Amino acid sequence: MNTLVVDAHVRIGQHREAALSVEALLAAMDRTGVDRAVVAPSEAQIAYDNRAGNAATTQAARATGGRLVAYAVANPWRGAAALDELAWAHEQGARALAVDSALQGFDLLDGLVDPLVRFAAEHRWPVYVRTGTPPGHLPLPTAALARRFPEVAFVMGRSGATDFWIDAAPALRHAPNLYGDTSYAPWDTVLGEFARDPEIGTSRLVFSSDQPYATAVGEMRRMRDWLLPAHERAAVLGTTMAGLLGLEKEPPA
Amino acid sequence: MIDFHTHTPLWTSASWLGGAGFDADDFVRFMDAVGISRAVVLSHDGLFHSTPEANDAVAGFVGKHPGRLVGFGTYSPRRPEALAEIERSFAELGLRGLKLHPWLQGFSMHEQVLDPIMEIVAAHGGILLCHDGTPPYSTAGQIAALARRHPRVPVVLGHAGLHDLWRESLHFTQETENLYLCICGTPPYAAARILDRAPAHKVLFGTDAGLSDKASQDYAVARVLEIDEWGITEAQKRAMLVDNPARLLDGAA
Ligand SMILES: [Zn+2]
Repeated sequence: MNTLVVDAHVRIGQHREAALSVEALLAAMDRTGVDRAVVAPSEAQIAYDNRAGNAATTQAARATGGRLVAYAVANPWRGAAALDELAWAHEQGARALAVDSALQGFDLLDGLVDPLVRFAAEHRWPVYVRTGTPPGHLPLPTAALARRFPEVAFVMGRSGATDFWIDAAPALRHAPNLYGDTSYAPWDTVLGEFARDPEIGTSRLVFSSDQPYATAVGEMRRMRDWLLPAHERAAVLGTTMAGLLGLEKEPPA
Repeated sequence: MIDFHTHTPLWTSASWLGGAGFDADDFVRFMDAVGISRAVVLSHDGLFHSTPEANDAVAGFVGKHPGRLVGFGTYSPRRPEALAEIERSFAELGLRGLKLHPWLQGFSMHEQVLDPIMEIVAAHGGILLCHDGTPPYSTAGQIAALARRHPRVPVVLGHAGLHDLWRESLHFTQETENLYLCICGTPPYAAARILDRAPAHKVLFGTDAGLSDKASQDYAVARVLEIDEWGITEAQKRAMLVDNPARLLDGAA
């Protein structure tokens, strides 16, 4: 198939229980037919060693000629230093912001992250927000954050998997600038419901493998099994995320 | 292999998921297609609305293929008739276990009404399978507290903590003699770590089949196929899919 396939979120480096090297990621992308992947750094680098993380993701992007696209990270508790960090990451080629309120220890609605999102808005970066179970990172507060910044595209990482999949649809309806990601979500229950919802639809879903927490083959196999009209499949698998990142104006990596 | 977490269709209740109609023959066809020899089939309607008829329906469903399907009933534990109905589900209907879903059924694991219920489960050599991985009322620590009070009853964490609470589920499975966990909707990296760290005889696997919009249970098939991507050993796989569930169901300790 010759549609552009973009993996909207993976994490490289050594995490607490899992790891993903750039080489292993590229091999998995080749194996599963993924053209480009947007990479965040390790858990420790998201939480506190932001400079090492931004160096890792932007270096991976440069080393692969842009096949990998860098997320920037900065712990919002660092205040002005977090903005300096994002500016540095931007200079190094980062093209999106990733936040994880569970790892970084803040509440999506406490205002700490707002200056970082404002930075993302100024640079036309999409913002990836990790979601899941209570207390801190549910789909609906993510939608509330998205509504504070209607000009910014937000990706709802994991779409509230699993027991807050039920909140993902109301979140997507509430904030039109919010996109669900497909990781872990069965198409024959969760994603199919989003697709059929007249206020959501497949144009609001982006493919993510969430490696190394999930498997490249398993996530892609479910996408291939999902019977969708070709243009909708192309949107979910890549063109929507490419549009959010501004990749479509570039030659393929 | 034995699938330790599946459901009947939803016959009488509405749910946020679409769901599909299927009968026991359809279900066994799904099992055959993916290589499942036996499945624990949990009540579905009874989780939303407890009635004796819901348990009758589970017994009727598994009764079509008694060699392949093992039925677990349910009943909202606070109802005054709960004790009598749970006794009937074992003694008359021949169900082998009790499924509880504290966040759907609206109770805490620390409520004293559960103690006489657990005595009934113990008297029939039954198993308790409890939904876990979801705050506020379905966490492994809460479920382990009940398990400690009833050491003769094997208590299974139905989802091994899902995405955000799997470390807690692993911990309490390690320290609680009669607590087991069923990897079902748990992300692959967590499954691999659990298999590495949990007592080897305590890990089970389930697909949550029954919730799909298709009788062919496509996401359940995908979950089985994905096991090969987890990076676990053949011995771990065999223990999880064959030996451990057989030992629990067939009683040979
Ligand atoms: Zn279930």
